[in-house]
Amino acid sequence: MVRISLKIVGASGQGIDSIGEVVAKALKRAGYCVFGYREYPSLIKGGHASYQIDFSDEEIRSSETKVNIVIALNHHGLEHNVTDLKNGGILIHSTENWKFPKEIQKVIDDRSLKIVEFPVEKILRDLHAKPILGNILLTSFVWAVLGQKIANLKEMVRERFAKKKDLLDLNMQCIETGVEHHKKHNALSVTPPKPKKKWQNHLLLTGSKAMGLGVIHAGCRVYAGYPMTPSSPLLSYIASVQNETGMVIKQAEDEITAAQIMSGAMLMGTRALTATSGGGFDLMSETVSLNGILENPTVFVLAQRPGPATGLPTWTAQADLLLAIHTAHGEFTRCVLAVSDATDCFTLMNEAFNIAEEYQISVIVLTDKQIAEALYTESPFELKKTKIKRGLVTDPEKLKKLTAADRYDPKTKNGVSLRWLPGTEAATYAAQGDEHSADGTVEESAENTKLQIDKRMRKSEALKRELPEPELFRMENGNCKVENNKDYAPDILLIGWGSTKSVILDVLRDSQLITQNLKLAYLHFTYLWPLKTERFSTLCSKAKKTILIEGNTQGQLGMLLKQETGMPIHCKILKYDGRPFFSDELQNEIENLLPEQSREESRSDH
Amino acid sequence: MSIPLQTTHSASSGPSTGPTMKDYSSSNRSTWCDGCGNYGIWTAIKGALVELGISPWQVLLCYDVGCHGNMSDKLQGYRFHGLHGRVLPFAAGAKIANPKLPVIAFGGDGASFSEGIGHLVHAVRSHYPITFVLHNNGNYGLTCGQASSLTPQNQPMNTAPNGVAEATLNSMDFIFSLGPTFVARGFSGDIKQMKSILKAALSHRGFAFVDILQACPTYNHFATHTMVMERYYKVEDEGHDPNDFKKARALAIDTGERIATGILYRNENIPNFIERLVPRQNVKTTPVEEVKVQDVSKLMEEFI
Repeated sequence: MVRISLKIVGASGQGIDSIGEVVAKALKRAGYCVFGYREYPSLIKGGHASYQIDFSDEEIRSSETKVNIVIALNHHGLEHNVTDLKNGGILIHSTENWKFPKEIQKVIDDRSLKIVEFPVEKILRDLHAKPILGNILLTSFVWAVLGQKIANLKEMVRERFAKKKDLLDLNMQCIETGVEHHKKHNALSVTPPKPKKKWQNHLLLTGSKAMGLGVIHAGCRVYAGYPMTPSSPLLSYIASVQNETGMVIKQAEDEITAAQIMSGAMLMGTRALTATSGGGFDLMSETVSLNGILENPTVFVLAQRPGPATGLPTWTAQADLLLAIHTAHGEFTRCVLAVSDATDCFTLMNEAFNIAEEYQISVIVLTDKQIAEALYTESPFELKKTKIKRGLVTDPEKLKKLTAADRYDPKTKNGVSLRWLPGTEAATYAAQGDEHSADGTVEESAENTKLQIDKRMRKSEALKRELPEPELFRMENGNCKVENNKDYAPDILLIGWGSTKSVILDVLRDSQLITQNLKLAYLHFTYLWPLKTERFSTLCSKAKKTILIEGNTQGQLGMLLKQETGMPIHCKILKYDGRPFFSDELQNEIENLLPEQSREESRSDH
Repeated sequence: MSIPLQTTHSASSGPSTGPTMKDYSSSNRSTWCDGCGNYGIWTAIKGALVELGISPWQVLLCYDVGCHGNMSDKLQGYRFHGLHGRVLPFAAGAKIANPKLPVIAFGGDGASFSEGIGHLVHAVRSHYPITFVLHNNGNYGLTCGQASSLTPQNQPMNTAPNGVAEATLNSMDFIFSLGPTFVARGFSGDIKQMKSILKAALSHRGFAFVDILQACPTYNHFATHTMVMERYYKVEDEGHDPNDFKKARALAIDTGERIATGILYRNENIPNFIERLVPRQNVKTTPVEEVKVQDVSKLMEEFI
């Protein structure tokens, strides 16, 4: 696979994201698969931030540590990002009279880097244009370096400024000037592979926006939240389209309130959602417990970032898996699942609501900063197959026959008793936070306590039976496919969950790792609690080597798998520095763990 | 799937064919102390609902944690008994989901003015169309008589044998500072008045704050049933105009010699939270009824 990458760096608030978004979308429309990745500090203005775009004519869902082009909007980029370039890479900047220190100059010489000063300020002065237009000027210059059709960029900009005629004209002028300027640097070019039509109609969106679409699609009508990165982009997106969707959006006074509003709305019978991150989820923990005893279907999105405490608010982690599984006092059934990319973000939200309502439990959906803010190229989402399952009694005849004691009847086989909504003409019950008998009457007897706890825990077994096993991915004829043959036994089994799936599959697709003699496959866990382990156990007993890949220090999924199966995983690749796995970095790490012989083969392929 | 929700309840018509007190009665035995003010409030609640023609299946009663919360299984109606201090946001969420259903939240002075005081502030500010009944007995009864923030300073209490060190919170001054639209005060010894207050609160446009001075014969020896009975008077008997915010606030705060009860302040001109939501203008259905697969193909276009 040919991968081209560029990185826009500068201060937060300088317009990095707008350049990034325009270039990413224009590339996607030109026929490339695009992956966008943001790094930024936890402040609004200043600080060093970046927007990296990796693209290819083939599927791509991760970033590399080294890029082909760096666009430095200020001199900090010249200080910090030269080393981000690959051999022969291009650095475009607009800092006049810049002198590199010796050690950087050596990197430039060693890697044969091309340094281009593009005098943005001077051009803007000549055009009598505001500094903000420097962004489009740079964008058009980069566009020319990438050898792309100018018409495509113009079309993008025309859409963006459709309602601002003055700005549009100036933008068009800047595009012409940028392209004109490139002609002076004609040799300066990066040649991407030939575009493919199939990407043109794909969606290009962040996990947060895909999740927002999924939530709306699933019939969720109330959203209550409290701002906290990286869950905030979901709240912002859902709020931004409220006039189209008619949803009720409530920015609550704290996370406890958000969780309580959501829970109240669910008890009343709509579909409601809340989302938060680490510390906010800690505050919601009491409400998770409440919903446990109320058997109130609820969905919580937990967007992970590195902790403890405020930690690294704008960076990524996969360190809250055990938190999600163990949060809240008392013992009760809950379901934990993790999205891995934008398509998951869309499809799994209805799934989460269905599980919550059918089992009358809390479902915790794990995402992370990487998924929330990265740009994914995805097939348009499938809308026709969605089924909403509510597990409600709504038939008036059946409602008439209900007694209050049906609500929490402890004798049902799978622990799931009948649920009907306040406001329906039927026997009334108490959704009781104290231990209660079948109709919600407070009841503290030993016998009843055990009956009700058993009832609520029985759902775990039923749910575990119904949840799908983890998916096994392997390469076949250059394509990544899901292997459903239970007898298939890879030599090397990679194991992971959440956002790392995308980068692991990118590494798998890079066929250098696949040799005739070595079967490599990846086992991906979407459903993390209750944990299905049959497939894992079978694969584990056959594989020569098992490698756990996670974004935390302890190998939390590995801990759970060992707890549930007693089977240890041989090797661990763990990353917990706030950054996601990069494809080249992960590939090296995996290669280092491969048996000697295949490592040689793999190297000789390079 | 359609959900057969109740769509109308007549707030004004008589109870001729409607529910009766018996419909609200539960076979569970009461567990409150002899002389507890909760008995009176319990009776008034049922009476108000019956007189408004609201059947048990047409209401959601939400209880906080405290002695009052033990009412949750002592009457009929859809009920919820939640976490200490958190009843208001839960009740608000429920109301948002189905604005057609009357929602009443009950909480004690312990939870509402300590652990849940943030929720109280924002519930008044948000102007959710729900009724909040404050069971104000001046202490934490269920945990055996500790001081609440409304207990008088220097009063010896469980955990404060030398008297409460902290200053007393002036609850009514505090509530009025939040810009409420409905403030009333009742007394657990006057069921008839409580009923009429609750009926008015239930037909209020937005957030109705109903303070009930409640006897706690076991732990409250400073504001007893007898003491309140001797001091309380009805503001309507003295010609109070409930539109007068300033006067209402002054009456509410001054409890030195006499205690003002009745509807102290009422303003029906302020749109409530749901009425203020732009996307919900002219929407006839409730979020409960709207749960179905929503077509997002239009929204997806932005990303192509």
